[in-house]
Amino acid sequence: MNPGVKTLIMNKTLQIFLRPIWTDNPINIQMLGICSALAVTVQLKTAFVMALSMTFVLSCSSLMISLLRKQIPKNIRIIVELSIISTFVILTDEFLRAYMYDVSKQLSVFVGLIITNCIVLGRAEAFALSNPPHLAFIDGVGNGFGYGSVLLIVAFFRELLGSGTLFGIQMVPDVLYKAGYVDAGFMLLAPAAFIIIGLLVWLQKAVAGKRELDQ
Amino acid sequence: MSDRMKSIVFALVLCLVCSSLLTAASSRLQPVQERNFQIDRRKNILQSISLVAPGRKYTGEEIDRLYKENIFKYYVDGEGAIINPDTLETPEQSGLMPLYLAMDEDSRIRSYIIPVESNGLWGKIHGYMALKDDGATIEGFTVYKHSETPGLGGEIENQWFQENFVGKKIVNPENEFVAVAIAKGSAADSVADEKLSNYVDGISGATLTGQYLTQGLHRILKKYEPVSLNFRQNALQCRMQNHEPWCEDPDHE
Repeated sequence: MNPGVKTLIMNKTLQIFLRPIWTDNPINIQMLGICSALAVTVQLKTAFVMALSMTFVLSCSSLMISLLRKQIPKNIRIIVELSIISTFVILTDEFLRAYMYDVSKQLSVFVGLIITNCIVLGRAEAFALSNPPHLAFIDGVGNGFGYGSVLLIVAFFRELLGSGTLFGIQMVPDVLYKAGYVDAGFMLLAPAAFIIIGLLVWLQKAVAGKRELDQ
Repeated sequence: MSDRMKSIVFALVLCLVCSSLLTAASSRLQPVQERNFQIDRRKNILQSISLVAPGRKYTGEEIDRLYKENIFKYYVDGEGAIINPDTLETPEQSGLMPLYLAMDEDSRIRSYIIPVESNGLWGKIHGYMALKDDGATIEGFTVYKHSETPGLGGEIENQWFQENFVGKKIVNPENEFVAVAIAKGSAADSVADEKLSNYVDGISGATLTGQYLTQGLHRILKKYEPVSLNFRQNALQCRMQNHEPWCEDPDHE
């Protein structure tokens, strides 16, 4: 294989990985998975675990579906995809319940609801069914990161402004509280996440849109 | 093979693979999960009598140690007599109700803890309510399992709501049983002053959860009323085979 072709392949793989993180972000651009993004972003810890769970489910289910793409009968395609996705979701849920009990209690139904998250089925239908396994896997990881990065950004602001902590560690010094600073309780409610996501969408559209015009 | 056959075979194989995977994972992880659940329940019991702080982290061993040192599980019968589980063969079948006793070093009962199981808006609410040895004052209330809406009814698991219960009474000023109820909104605004000691602040946006929990608490406290009454009258009867430290000698006084 000559070096030129090799870099071309590398570029394509890298592009598949990077696209969902920035230009085709599942939350900011495709507007998918907003519901869970509102629910689990009160604290960074839950957002982080949710991001990891989502990445695991997305990459594994994309890989499996891509491996089976030539065998899956067309007429029961969606059911097969959902079975594979829900198997991974339940595995994740069981694992969290066994080894991260506190976090799983906070995440409550939202890990289980990954099954209904449009991002997973969307990637399975749009990408995994028509691409080879390694690319499907990378696409899954990329989308997981794209989803997770938005979650972490939102959770960063909500936890910092709403509770004065990051990953449960106090960030706002006691001096400030004594001087009359009060945590913004509003940040702990779902509408705050809506506003932050809205601002992120605006920011990204402004920056990415400008770049598109430049090209 | 026809297309239809292929679909059926594929679906069957997929179901088999997925379900065996899930069965394997769930049976492998079940002991760990049950252990977590046990620690969580014990932690809730300890929290109801303020032996663990809500914010702090505890290891499973710490919880076990605190639990074993302070909490003793007994049973009560319909007349409020406390029964040592060692004297029973099948406590669960004999219609007895579990009761947790918190004792200090001299084996004196500090408080007694009632397991709470109430209906909620979406499912059962499980928790514990600790009452002081006067049989009237609530020492703490915790929830370890519920299916209420996060942010609305789900607030029942939060500290601010649970702290509401501390110091409230399950009896009215005339010393008659009334249980404790959740007000609609702030208790101070909606309840007459003389009843304030029997009401806690409600959760805004979760009136129904409050109503269900009020009913549930009333039912549970009523069930345990005989034992509470015994505590109130300071006449704890010991109808058990083994001598227990809190069985005061009737001739003693």
